[in-house]
Amino acid sequence: MWGDRLRQPLLQRNGKQEPVSWDEALDCVAVRLKQLLAAGKPVGVLGSARATNEENYLAGKFARVGLGTNNLGFSYYSICAPLLAGVEEVCGTPAATLRLNDIASSQVILLIEGDLAETHPRAAGSVLQAVENGAHLITIGCRETQMARVASLHLQTAPGDEYEVIHELSAAVADLGQGRPSVSIRNDAGQQDLEQHFGSLACLQAAEWITRAERAAFLIPPTCGEENRQWKTAAAFTALAAITGHLNRPGSGVLPLLARSNARGACETAVVHNRLPGFERLDDSRSRQRLEDLWGKKLPSAPGWDAEMLLQSVSGLVVVADDPPSVMPIGQKAMTALGRLEFMVVLDAFATPTARIAHALLPISSFAETEGTFTNMEGRVQKLRPATNAPGEARPGWQVLAELCARFDAAASYDSAADVLREIGQAAPQYVGIEQRLAKAGWSGALLEDSAKQKLRIPPAETIAFASLRSAERPHLLALDPAFDWGSDPLVFFSPTLSRDFRSQRKAFPNGFVEIAQEDADELQVRSGRRVRLTSVQGAATVPALVRDDLNHGQLIVPFVFRDHVSNVLGSDSVTAVRIERA
Amino acid sequence: MALAIEKKAVSGWLERLLKLGEVIAPTRTPTGDVLFSNIRSGSDVAWNLPNPLHPPKEFVLPQTDPLVQIKRNGQHHEVEAIHDGRRRFLVNARSCDVKGIAFLTRMHEMEPADASYLRRSNNLTIISLACATPCPSGFCICTDSGPFLSDSYDVQLTDLDKSYLIEVGSAKGEAAVAEAQGLFRKASEDEVSQRKRLEETAKHHFGNETCHFASAMRRISTGRVPDILWEKMSDWCLECGGCNVICPTCYCFSVKDLGRDGVWVRCRLRDSCQYAAFTLEASGHNPRPEKKDRMKRRFFHKVSAQYYTRDGAVGCVGCGRCVQVCLGATHMPAVVAAIRKGSWHE
Repeated sequence: MWGDRLRQPLLQRNGKQEPVSWDEALDCVAVRLKQLLAAGKPVGVLGSARATNEENYLAGKFARVGLGTNNLGFSYYSICAPLLAGVEEVCGTPAATLRLNDIASSQVILLIEGDLAETHPRAAGSVLQAVENGAHLITIGCRETQMARVASLHLQTAPGDEYEVIHELSAAVADLGQGRPSVSIRNDAGQQDLEQHFGSLACLQAAEWITRAERAAFLIPPTCGEENRQWKTAAAFTALAAITGHLNRPGSGVLPLLARSNARGACETAVVHNRLPGFERLDDSRSRQRLEDLWGKKLPSAPGWDAEMLLQSVSGLVVVADDPPSVMPIGQKAMTALGRLEFMVVLDAFATPTARIAHALLPISSFAETEGTFTNMEGRVQKLRPATNAPGEARPGWQVLAELCARFDAAASYDSAADVLREIGQAAPQYVGIEQRLAKAGWSGALLEDSAKQKLRIPPAETIAFASLRSAERPHLLALDPAFDWGSDPLVFFSPTLSRDFRSQRKAFPNGFVEIAQEDADELQVRSGRRVRLTSVQGAATVPALVRDDLNHGQLIVPFVFRDHVSNVLGSDSVTAVRIERA
Repeated sequence: MALAIEKKAVSGWLERLLKLGEVIAPTRTPTGDVLFSNIRSGSDVAWNLPNPLHPPKEFVLPQTDPLVQIKRNGQHHEVEAIHDGRRRFLVNARSCDVKGIAFLTRMHEMEPADASYLRRSNNLTIISLACATPCPSGFCICTDSGPFLSDSYDVQLTDLDKSYLIEVGSAKGEAAVAEAQGLFRKASEDEVSQRKRLEETAKHHFGNETCHFASAMRRISTGRVPDILWEKMSDWCLECGGCNVICPTCYCFSVKDLGRDGVWVRCRLRDSCQYAAFTLEASGHNPRPEKKDRMKRRFFHKVSAQYYTRDGAVGCVGCGRCVQVCLGATHMPAVVAAIRKGSWHE
């Protein structure tokens, strides 16, 4: 076994985690959580984008029925929530309306480019296939990445300013007057606004390709900027798909590019503070009734805290395979928040930084040792089959959570992970009958049915418009690359071959780095490795520079993993105007 | 002298081999995959399965190959070599995979010889089945590794409908046949000529579309592949390493210690020359920092005349697995074609 696997339950005593029996550990967890509840102190639960649907579902059920709270979340949600909300604003659902296989047969692909080849190689493979078949690939991004190089058209923009290009494209589409008749822009103010921004030739060309295409794929990852900007970018992007007639059309659609194995599953099994299974709204009375009937208990109605708020506010925390300091944008601040908890129990297969400071640590099986399901970003439910035995006394996560539920009077008698999945089928409408479909399916799993066609909603232009952050005094934009840091995922980190690049990057740059354009480097007369000082209105930081020739003048990018080194400069935002000088 | 065996007698032969060691053949798993795995009875071999996606190099060069056990003993460390001396029979392998293992063996026999590898390969007897029809993505005819073999095999079977023609090509093959002497008979002249006809027909199935290694080799070996072409091609590679994993002739590795409680096992792990940190040096210097450098290296090793002269073969057996797994578009036939034409996707 490579890396630190957890083998037996541990309880913290005199500042050390000591091995105990399963019964002792579970009893202790129940007693401590009940003490906190009795004292009226807030508690919460974190699920995870790398936990199975079954684990996440039971984590949600435990929070709502066992602990009576909606303080529920998962760390990666703080990264993808604005993206999902933006798509939902237009489509009525945040779920992908495009399958990965549709990409390969698209005629046009519009891609907001972080670095797709790096973050989503499977989707990038389909994009390459489409381009090979003659599709037009249009990339919008701040650097000349691999996808940008094979693209028919690369529309350069500053990080967090993708909206400006989308806006220009929308204007060009309107100008072409070829938006499909099913949807039209009704808002007059928006129309005028669009006309003012009559697009460049490139945008006009792109707009023509998009409007003429039978099948077009719209791919969007989480972007940078504060929540509101990200939300608007995603809404504007989805609206562009809508006005060009590519939503509700077979083979076309929007695919939100989520990272990790089960981000979508974690949403749909509702480890989210204001959602119910099926990603339905907490205040949706029909959904509430359905769940109360299923679970046989009244559900808490007050919306809970999301993962970030919850970390700052609760006294007791249950963590299921999550690791906030490695995943959340707030980085080490999450570690500080965890450190002040009165009681934290962690269920995990790996000794993550969070697990190491837990008061109680319950070892669970990894994905290779348990039954369960994952739902990928296109809505494909895939089944896990145990390939080997879990080490030591580790137990399947669903079993441990079911035992916890039982200790809190939350009915949970399951004989297998399939029983849990069956219940998910009753709780989440998309998952009805999924376990029968999976039983017949092979490795490819089963695709969730497309949700019923929703009425599209085009947000008025002024509600999604925003201005660039750059200012004359601070001509450079510093952005935090929102791409998920795979090096922090235990499955990658503990794999000797996969983790090598990440480990060597951390080793070579113990103080992090900021990527700067060759042009800026020449101006400042710095080479890679030389330190630069970054100053924003929030504060300043000094970090080594890494010179890149694929960046545009004025753009500065910090990889997600090094966010703590620039947290003073960024403040709570992920993109900000800065002044840069030699340190 | 060619032999023959009636099809219904084959299971009896395999039963005898099962008494001597492991018998491995392509099998279909409950989830539908085809894998090389151990069979329990002589009748378990499904002769009509497609070639497994993973080549049988696992049985000579496992993904994780434990080499040495290191144990702490007071102030000292005890070091003990780990031996895998199991006798194995690989049945129903394709010609390309026989050539793949022959390639690996030639390489590991070179000084300094690799004892761990050779222990496994010396104990492995391959009973291959010649291909009467080429597989959809295979191009073994271009790499001199099929569809029928004229060397490198231990035992080669040819399907003659009711019987198999048996050709024995090595001492290991002779030993495997000697185990069930009574089941074999001398092949008739008719059977021998039927095998020749099948080989000719199989070759013709490939048609005129072949992969032009010779021309690519000339260009690669004389530095006539412009850097810009490697750069262009590398944009169509997603660095997944899949081609390395499934290639019957790839053997790059790294070394890691798998340890717990004072005992370490030093393992050879298969690796990929396409990964950025594969050649990363401790100083931070990387001789192949760009993807184009790594691609160039991979294809130089497989296709250049320098290696051809040393190995006597191109480092490709035409199995077509890279065509199936490539997540991008830079599999062997595509790259060879681009090198020959001097252009990519134009």
